[in-house]
Amino acid sequence: MKSILKLLLVVTIFASCQNDDDHLASLDPDEAKSGGGTTVFGTFSTLFEQPAANLNAVEADLHFKGNVGFEGTFVTAPAVVNPGLGPFFNNTSCAACHGRNGRSPFPEDANDLGGLLLRISVPGVGPHGGPLLVPGYGGQLQQRAIYNTQPEAEVEIEWEELIRTFADGETVTLRKPIFKLKNGYDGNLPSSVLISPRIASQVIGLGLFEAISEADILSFSDENDADGNGISGRPNFVFDEKKQQMALGRFGWKCGQPTLEQQTAGAFVEDMGVTSPLFPNENCGDNPACDATADDPEISEETLHAAVFYTQSLGVPARRSVDDVQVRKGKALFQKAGCDGCHRASFTTAQHPDGLAFLSIQKIYPYTDLLLHDMGEGLADNRPDYAANGQEWRTAPLWGIGLTPIINGHTDFLHDGRARSLMEAVLWHGGEAEKSRQTVEKMSKKDREALVVFLESL
Amino acid sequence: MQFKFLPTTLLALTLFAVGCDDDGTATPTGDYSAIIENITDDVIISTYADLDVQAQQLLEALNTMEATPTTANLEAARQAWRDAREPWELSEGFLYGPVDTKGLDPALDSWPVNQTDLDNVLASSNDLTVAYVDGLDGTLKGFHTIEYLLFGANGDKQVGDFNDRQFEYLSACGQSLKNTTAQLVGGWLPSEGNFGKNFKQAGTSGSIYPSQKNVLEEIMNGLVTIADEVANGKINEPFAQQNVALEESRFSANSKADFADNIRSIQNVWLGTHLNATGSGMSSLIAVKDPALDIKVRGEIEAAISAIENIEGTFTTAIFDHPSDVQAAQQAVRDLLTTLQGEVLPLVSNL
Repeated sequence: MKSILKLLLVVTIFASCQNDDDHLASLDPDEAKSGGGTTVFGTFSTLFEQPAANLNAVEADLHFKGNVGFEGTFVTAPAVVNPGLGPFFNNTSCAACHGRNGRSPFPEDANDLGGLLLRISVPGVGPHGGPLLVPGYGGQLQQRAIYNTQPEAEVEIEWEELIRTFADGETVTLRKPIFKLKNGYDGNLPSSVLISPRIASQVIGLGLFEAISEADILSFSDENDADGNGISGRPNFVFDEKKQQMALGRFGWKCGQPTLEQQTAGAFVEDMGVTSPLFPNENCGDNPACDATADDPEISEETLHAAVFYTQSLGVPARRSVDDVQVRKGKALFQKAGCDGCHRASFTTAQHPDGLAFLSIQKIYPYTDLLLHDMGEGLADNRPDYAANGQEWRTAPLWGIGLTPIINGHTDFLHDGRARSLMEAVLWHGGEAEKSRQTVEKMSKKDREALVVFLESL
Repeated sequence: MQFKFLPTTLLALTLFAVGCDDDGTATPTGDYSAIIENITDDVIISTYADLDVQAQQLLEALNTMEATPTTANLEAARQAWRDAREPWELSEGFLYGPVDTKGLDPALDSWPVNQTDLDNVLASSNDLTVAYVDGLDGTLKGFHTIEYLLFGANGDKQVGDFNDRQFEYLSACGQSLKNTTAQLVGGWLPSEGNFGKNFKQAGTSGSIYPSQKNVLEEIMNGLVTIADEVANGKINEPFAQQNVALEESRFSANSKADFADNIRSIQNVWLGTHLNATGSGMSSLIAVKDPALDIKVRGEIEAAISAIENIEGTFTTAIFDHPSDVQAAQQAVRDLLTTLQGEVLPLVSNL
């Protein structure tokens, strides 16, 4: 008799501590370690700049060398240190756009886009099925130029507004930037130019993405929505310059790059005008002001390799407050709204293609399926990019997103930084995500807050 | 039976003691408000305010030199540059907040200087106004551009080597730098950007930091970052590669002062001091938890400053002529780094 009373006593006390014990998502014991063995811990502004936790001494050394390359500021040639900037560029160092290895804010001034760049093309299909370059301008607008060189064009930004209303009547005003180009340097800027704004993304976890097997990514592809759940993710296949063949795209806002080497070398030449052995030609093609100096490649294979390794070997920040009740409620709501249909919580990596052991066989929690999804008209850039049509975007990885205020001092999200908060980003979801967004719009305020708190824990 | 009841009661009591708050975790103890407030106001904001004052002096010295170009005024301008450099280097132990997120660091301290474009700008007929300079990349303004123009590529520029365009450009850069230092201190002040609120109200909805402990981690990582940067970047790059071109403050021969002031930045945060203010710093916390560690850190800070200042000659010549001095200084900073990273940081992370 007494033992039953004791038991009841304990159970009653225990139950009274758990005031919301329904609708709590279950916990995965590993889920705080978002980057598996690479995970780094803390809540401070240089967390995204920490090396992966599981590097050996040789790897740590190469990581440090790559850090120097990543932060190095380029200047106009001739110069003793870091020559090779431009003549056309978006910024002067990797770190200038990818501040603290985080994401760039939306620029304050259309004349200085900072970490936002514009991919451009004309209607039609280019080499290997990719974008058709704009004659005289290429595939990206470099807004800045070295001295005495006329910039490619000027940029204008106009805004459209859109109001979303929650079921409880609260409204949120969303804003959408419309980009226009004017004053093309040759007076020949085609009116048909297609523009895709791309803001600088966080640099963490990229090596782990390289280590996910192609088979795993493709296993979640469901292009024709065979399972009838409204989600139809599909892969993008893009041209691999080194291998000279098509390959699965996994990096960039529209899965436009197949490997970190191509992403990095591409960024050096397109964003800074710095040539490398992989891309030895300047980004300005038939622009007569293009750099004719015979100093290419402007960075060596060694520098490129170290910079690539740097992007591969950064730590992924651990989640915070994983077992917080409100976080668990938010996670359950995330699942209930179907967000995890695209923002898949977890993968286990395979052997990294270059044999990097610290990236191999790691259970990771990036909250993305790395596939393309139609996100609706509101988010469309209307610029095809290989197989990606004008409404498709790669599912953005959510790991680290909650640290953005501390890393970068802002909360601007989505491909063009238009969303000024996580909830604004959620409210832009359309297309395949339309139903999920509507589910969120119907949530109570308390539930919406829990959802955001969950996102902030990532 | 009475005896058997005890464990259950203890279990029940423990559940209450831990706290039935919403997150189901024990609330951390410890109030670090005094340390955080003192570091915010009397170290960080105080340093930035001093930088802003010195930047004004530098601007005035540049204007004076432009109006009356004499050797004496050139020397005064150079000294004003060094005097403004000091609080900037004293601030590099806390490179978080608006200095980073508002792009103020690149505007003040970009390196290297884009000498090719600078030469072209000076050779042009563009109006060298502040607005013009504001539109240029950080590699065409800030401390190092002013340094390059004031001291010359070999540090021996004479007043007769200057021309009007250079004087104009220097004045414009001086104003631009002053505007930036005002933004920097403003970024922390309650009356303006109020980043200080994030530190002082940590753990509340008014702060981006979920707890005071996170602020202490931020502060500690700032110290680790600058120690690492000095030992393994600023000293190591030119020294290991035996290449003066990689030395950041080469034109002014100011590197030793830069390095020593970077370590003093750590010291100021550690002791909670700047200029004549006294108060709680990280030392107050560590001295309670591990007094021997606090003493060790204080000693290593002093040793690093001494070792840097004991490098014979300028840093530029020492990397060739007195490598053992440079080695000793580098090691002293590395020792400090090892202690901060290996012993202090874990202690703070486990608060």
